[in-house]
Amino acid sequence: MYMKSESEALFVKQLKENQNIIHKICRLYTTDEDAHKDLFQEITIQLWKAFPNFRGDSKFTTWAYRVGLNTAITLYRKKKRSIDTIEFDSTFHKVTQDDYNFEEEEKLKLLYSAISELNDIEKALVFLYLEDKDYTEISETLGISEVNARVKMNRVKGKLKKILNP
Amino acid sequence: MDELDLLKKDWKKQESSFQQIGEKEIYGMLHKRSSSIVKWIVIISVLELLLWLSISFLTADDKYTKTLELYHLDTFMPFMSVISYGVILFFIFLFFKNYKAINTTDNVKQLMQNILKTRKTVKYYVWYNLAMTAISMIIVFIFQFLYDPSIKKVIDNASSNIDPKTFYCIMLLVYAAVIIVFIGLIWLFYRLLYGILMRRLQKNYDELKKIDY
Repeated sequence: MYMKSESEALFVKQLKENQNIIHKICRLYTTDEDAHKDLFQEITIQLWKAFPNFRGDSKFTTWAYRVGLNTAITLYRKKKRSIDTIEFDSTFHKVTQDDYNFEEEEKLKLLYSAISELNDIEKALVFLYLEDKDYTEISETLGISEVNARVKMNRVKGKLKKILNP
Repeated sequence: MDELDLLKKDWKKQESSFQQIGEKEIYGMLHKRSSSIVKWIVIISVLELLLWLSISFLTADDKYTKTLELYHLDTFMPFMSVISYGVILFFIFLFFKNYKAINTTDNVKQLMQNILKTRKTVKYYVWYNLAMTAISMIIVFIFQFLYDPSIKKVIDNASSNIDPKTFYCIMLLVYAAVIIVFIGLIWLFYRLLYGILMRRLQKNYDELKKIDY
């Protein structure tokens, strides 16, 4: 009992410090605030369930990427209520006031809505690309070979560019 | 500038824009397992209702209806069953409502309140079932005593041998013993059925309490 609450405290602390990872995953896989909260909670629970197997030989963050993305891809897909990913809620995308640039803003909107049309695996690739992960880490996180990761990544990038410049 | 670089720039910028979640909230999420316990309470209560329904359907043969007629209970008992099933359905609805409430809250304090409420509902549910069983048994015994011809025969036979007052006392004690044993068995059944879940809820509640205060 004592041990358990101790590891719980450790988990909560680490999760709190690294919560932006989960927020960013939610950002890519959901389109509104409620779904964001839902997925955040789902990932938190999955991380907690998997925590006893986390031995600390990889970083908490790497581990969180893996479990978080897996949750978003597999678990969340099952319970997704409706296919409303096509319409991207533009108000959800917060704009920073100071460097507002209309042209850039339009492009970004287009980009995010293009991403929301990708499938779940492709979203994971985009996410890891945006997080500046190298192909070794990408292949580890997604459980595919490095070559495969490279090929897939190029395909996704091509797909996005094509959506933007038809 | 490449579109993807633009996206990356924007992606990095958003880091500070996420609403940060506090430790308490995270603890609350971890203790969401209360919701799965409450889900089991709903499922078990439905299964239990089905069990009672199937038992009463399987035992409701001609002999049973004849006995009811004999006891002058043929209108009262079905009426009582309908009411009691109605109440059980209402309880199931309450369990379901509790489940929904626990499932949607992410506030530790509210979660605790909902756990308390669920425990209370289950307690009332068990008490209701025990009371209902006792009452229907008492009613059946009374009417059996009044109308069953074989009982009358026994009474007539016995009263010629023993003092009728002692006889009635003994009868009353026997009936009381039967009722108590039966109620005890049902109580045990409920302890087994819901006891484990209730203990888990309590444990969860205690852990939440440590966080909140």
